[in-house]
Amino acid sequence: MEERGLPTRSSSPLPGRPDSQTNLADILERVLDKGIVIAGDIQINLLDIELLTIKLRLLIASVDRAREMGINWWESDSSLQSLGPGGDDDDNGDQGRLQQENRELRERLERLERALGVGEPESKSD
Amino acid sequence: MTDELARWAGERAPALLARAEAEAVAVLRDALVAAALPRTRTEPSAPPSAADPAPQRGDALWTYGVVRAGAPSPAQLEGIEGAGAVELVVAGELAALVSRVPLADFGEEPLRRNLNHMPWLERVARAHEAVLERALQTMTIVPLRLCTIYESEASVRAMLAAERESFGEILALLDGRQEWGVKLLLDPARVAAEARARSPETETLEAQLAQSSEGGAYMLRRRLERHVSEVSESLAAEVARQVHARVQDWAVDAVTLPAQNRELSGHEGEMILNGAYLVEADRVDGLRGLVDELETHHRALGARIELTGPWPPYNFVPSRGAGALA
Repeated sequence: MEERGLPTRSSSPLPGRPDSQTNLADILERVLDKGIVIAGDIQINLLDIELLTIKLRLLIASVDRAREMGINWWESDSSLQSLGPGGDDDDNGDQGRLQQENRELRERLERLERALGVGEPESKSD
Repeated sequence: MTDELARWAGERAPALLARAEAEAVAVLRDALVAAALPRTRTEPSAPPSAADPAPQRGDALWTYGVVRAGAPSPAQLEGIEGAGAVELVVAGELAALVSRVPLADFGEEPLRRNLNHMPWLERVARAHEAVLERALQTMTIVPLRLCTIYESEASVRAMLAAERESFGEILALLDGRQEWGVKLLLDPARVAAEARARSPETETLEAQLAQSSEGGAYMLRRRLERHVSEVSESLAAEVARQVHARVQDWAVDAVTLPAQNRELSGHEGEMILNGAYLVEADRVDGLRGLVDELETHHRALGARIELTGPWPPYNFVPSRGAGALA
């Protein structure tokens, strides 16, 4: 409650705007997601900012509509699972990702072993 | 001496290399095992977070947007929370709207903390927006994303100089045009009723339902529900397409945004269109008329169209400046 104690601005109401405060969703979807990005001197860790906007996007976009529109990329981000829509297929998704990651690591390991000439006797040169 | 060293290194090299290889493989195996383990495990030996540095002193410049240097600016603009009044930093034919903010709140660390504090973010977002809205009344502006902060006026000028050409082009594109938001909301119950009325299959299913046994009735009812919801969805989508197309025709440019979350927007009904439109200023009255007409046209579905604006043209500037970080 006390957070709302922002001093009210004395500006006259703008044309085309109701007297009541503009819908926060309207503002956030613009100032956080749109507008030109220019590198400033204060570098906020881009990852933090992206995470923040992703989280906010979840607040902003209604999840079902967003999913219908194909905007479901956050579902593959494990750090956002708790914010996600939940549901019984979450576990499968998690496992699927884990398997995928596992597979990729295994392939990487094999490539590395081959390159190093260890683990695979037939490829040992020299 | 050098020769000796070289020989020694030559002899040792294969052994060292082998050890390095073994270590690399071991590290990778560990990573593989760690990845395969359930994630509930706590992070092993997370690096201790660096002690909080002493609070930063001094000021930085919060940047709201870019305008033409000669443009008549509004008399007095109050900045965001904790910031000074809005000033202009001029470089050539461009100027940036800025205000001084204390590094104690807007340095990297405190800023990150503040950004994750929703009430703070709301206040700053609203104030950033308010400055741009006031500026919009007297000049063409290129809105910058929240949190574009510079250490000095010299850095702001350097940015303006580096982006001179692209800002010039964007400003020319935005002159005499306004961003307006159009949201279409439908009443789901009215949409479903209309869907039933329009689909002949509904009648057939209802007739069958009236004559069926209890067991059969359950399945039929499910089929009917599914059918109605499918027809409702395509009906709503069709109306959204129509409305968007009509407003788009009235505009210079248009984009559709994801529907908003009810908790944040407080809207009633189903938001099936959330569009932003760049409109010639002298066509705005016509836009109002068009929106009224469309709302009346779809009254049977409980249509409400929310028209908001003029907005700073956030949705009609490129997302990155030419010299921005890759």
